[in-house]
Amino acid sequence: MKLDLERLSILFVDDSPFIRTLVISSLKMIGVGHVSLAKDGGSAIDLIKKVKSDPMRAGIQSIDMVISNWDMSPTDGSMLLRWLRRHKDSPDRFMPFLMLTAYTEQQRVEEARNLGAHEVLAKPFTMKSLGEKIALTINRNRQFVHTRDYFGPDRRRQSGSLSAAERRERTDKSIDVEIVHG
Amino acid sequence: MDDIKENTLDKKTAIKVRYYRFRNKLREKTAGLSGSAGDIGLEIDFAALQKAEALFAKATEDYPDWVLGTIQQLVNLHAQCLSEPKIRHESFDKISHIAHDLKGQGGTFGYPLITSFATSLYRFSSMKTDVEDHHVEIIKSHIDAMRAVIRDRVSGDGGTIGVELARGLDEIIKRYKTRNTN
Repeated sequence: MKLDLERLSILFVDDSPFIRTLVISSLKMIGVGHVSLAKDGGSAIDLIKKVKSDPMRAGIQSIDMVISNWDMSPTDGSMLLRWLRRHKDSPDRFMPFLMLTAYTEQQRVEEARNLGAHEVLAKPFTMKSLGEKIALTINRNRQFVHTRDYFGPDRRRQSGSLSAAERRERTDKSIDVEIVHG
Repeated sequence: MDDIKENTLDKKTAIKVRYYRFRNKLREKTAGLSGSAGDIGLEIDFAALQKAEALFAKATEDYPDWVLGTIQQLVNLHAQCLSEPKIRHESFDKISHIAHDLKGQGGTFGYPLITSFATSLYRFSSMKTDVEDHHVEIIKSHIDAMRAVIRDRVSGDGGTIGVELARGLDEIIKRYKTRNTN
C-alpha cells in the first residue's frame, strides 16, 4: 500500500543551492506536499521558531520532519539536532530527524544516533535510499527515551536479536521507569 | 500537603528512565485511505520514486560538467587576483563563496575529494590577513587539484591517485607558507 505524502511538510537543510534545488524537485516528485528549505542549521532554527510562533507569516502550518546535512557552516546539522532535542526554545523535541553525512565512519553514524537522529544516510545518496529512509521514519513509530545521558528515539530497533548483556534490565513496571503516553 | 509534595519529589528524583510513547501522527497524516491502523509498512509510490531517481541520476551524470563551469569561475577570479591586485580581497570573497557551495556538493555526487579540496580552499580564502602573491598561488593549486579530480573522474576517495593529489596540494600549501615565513 502507498503512502500519501500530500499533507506532509518537510524541512530540508543543506548549504548547497544545487542540492537544495535538486532535492526539492525530487521530494515534490514523490508527492511531498510542502518542502521548506534552509541553508544551514541557524536558518533552520529561525524557521522552526517562526513556524511555531507565527505560522501564517511563515507560510507553513507545521514541519513534520527535518532532513539535514551534517557539514554546514556556521551552524551544522549536529548543532541543529542538539538544539531540537535539548534546547528550551525547541518547539518540538520529538521532531523526526534524518541526518545526511559525507562522513561514513561508524563513529560519525553513532554520534548522529547518540544526538537523537531517527535515521542517518551516507552521501552519496540516491533518491531511492532517501525515499526508503522517509518511509521507514513514517512506518516505525519509535518510542522516545529520556535518560541522564540521552534524549531521542529508541536506539534499539531490532527486537529479538539482543544478547543478554544488551537486554534492558528495566521493564515498564520498574520503579525508576516512567511511561508517558500521548 | 507537604507530605504529598515530598512523595511526588521522591518519585521524580527516583525516575531514571522515561519512555514517551505517542501515537504515530506521521502515519496518520500519510496513510491516506489505507488507514493509520496496523503494522503494514506503507511505501512511497514506486513510479514516482523511479522518476525522482532518474532526476537524481541525471544530476549526478551532469555534475562533472557543471562543476567544471564552476571551476572556470575560480580560474577567472584567480586571473583577476593577478591582474588587479588592488581588489584581491573582493576576489577572495567571491572565491570563498564559490568554494563554500562546492564543498557541500562533491560528497553527494560521489566526488568527496572535491569536498575536501573545496573545504581547504574555503578556509584558506576566508582568511582576513593581507592577500599576497604566494596566497594567490595557493588558490591556483586548489583549482588545479579540483580540475584534476574532474578531468580524471576521480570518484570516491580516489585510491592512490586521490592520495597523491591530496599530498601534492598539502606540499604546495606548506611550500608557499614556508616561503612566506622565511
